Amino acid sequence: MLTALCIHPRDNVAVVLREVRKGEDVLVNLNTGAVHLTAQNDIPFGHKIAVTTLPVSKPIIKYGEEIGNAKTLIQPGEWVHLENVYCERGRED
Amino acid sequence: MHTFYGYRRPQGLPGVRNLVAIIPSVFCANTVVRRITQQVAGTVELTHPVGCSQVGLDLELTAKALKGVGRHPNFYGVVVVGLGCERFRAKELADSIAATGKPVEMLVIQEEGDTQEAIAKGVLLAQKLVEQAAKQQKEEFPLSELCLGLKCGGTDATSGIAANPVLGWVTDQIVAEGGSAMLTEVTELIGAEHVLARRAVTPQVGQKILETIHNMENKLKVGTAHCDLQNRSALISPGNEDGGVTTVVEKALGGIHKGGTGPITGVLAYGEPLVEHGLYILDCPGHDGEAVTGLAASGCQVVVFTTGRGTPTGFPGVPVVKITGNTSTYERMKFNLDFNAGEIIDKGLSIPEVGTGLLKTVIETASGVPTKAEIGLHDELFCITRSYGG
Repeated sequence: MLTALCIHPRDNVAVVLREVRKGEDVLVNLNTGAVHLTAQNDIPFGHKIAVTTLPVSKPIIKYGEEIGNAKTLIQPGEWVHLENVYCERGRED
Repeated sequence: MHTFYGYRRPQGLPGVRNLVAIIPSVFCANTVVRRITQQVAGTVELTHPVGCSQVGLDLELTAKALKGVGRHPNFYGVVVVGLGCERFRAKELADSIAATGKPVEMLVIQEEGDTQEAIAKGVLLAQKLVEQAAKQQKEEFPLSELCLGLKCGGTDATSGIAANPVLGWVTDQIVAEGGSAMLTEVTELIGAEHVLARRAVTPQVGQKILETIHNMENKLKVGTAHCDLQNRSALISPGNEDGGVTTVVEKALGGIHKGGTGPITGVLAYGEPLVEHGLYILDCPGHDGEAVTGLAASGCQVVVFTTGRGTPTGFPGVPVVKITGNTSTYERMKFNLDFNAGEIIDKGLSIPEVGTGLLKTVIETASGVPTKAEIGLHDELFCITRSYGG
């Protein structure tokens, strides 16, 4: 059973299908086949985990489309959320 | 091909309920409307806070919402209640509704004397309409006669992978059978406009989609530009963020799954009814009440509302089917939620497998089975959108 779901072949983040703990093995489906990642943080259910290295300002891709950009260098297995993602759209800050 | 059992109307789509609506033209008539509704079973109250001291577009939006809701096919007939001195006249509302051919009665409090006399007269008018409505028999209609309103609220990360794709599958089935559906919450389409524009039936419709979403984004920019408002500028809620949704674009891309994968026929203005069947975008902000009111005013007989975090709300006279992709939310809020799409995540079921069940629920709802929001007497979603300063 997958731990995290990569929704679209272009995606560089996956959605964890249950809460995972730091250091835990995470099985995620990629278009090249299922791969194992090590969770770098505790990640709540439904939140995103990086499946590749994401340098600063790299587009974050989910549903096959850009949802924002990396604010800091993000490593595979890291929790991807408000701390390390920015988005110019829909807010004025 | 699927069918449902509804009520034929003199024009337009059939109703999926057969109620009598009691509608004030102005908020000053709200208590009279409420008292009438309390005394006559089979009626629903559509009380609201507007109808006077408004000008321009703001007053026109109120007029469009009240006329659209009054003309809604789920209402057999309507009693309009005015005060007498308001800007939005009871007669304008009553005439607009009567143009559909349905029975309409009108009373004006200042002409009746006082509120007690108005209530007494209104009760008799409502009772007469309820008795007439009760004589109408249901008929079988093809799914092409159904228009589904699409809405999400209390979004979490399960919405984009389970509830919205399942609703999108249902949307595709209904549109394929000649029916209609409306996406709205334009504030929450920001960032997904290019994806939607690619699905437009013509380049003109594509351009209209881009313009509609850009206009909404510009309005928001103006509204949040002041430095004192910087901490009021987020378009996604703390609940969305706690649920794993990081950006407004991510929310939009997850949200548009509700509209399935088919072509987009057109863009409708607020309160505008559909002419040809198909999938539409309705120009209305994302506030749950304003959006569902917009969907009702444009004639959607059933609204399907996806929610990850769980919301109990309903609309007077229009069934709102609640669906979640989060099994834990479903287990906690069983009294409020109609359908669990969470087995896509928990058990790896396919979207069509779960979608088949949701389509059945939608058809049963359209044929008269009450939603959890109807059973719980929820009516919070009647909320008319406003426009200040243009």
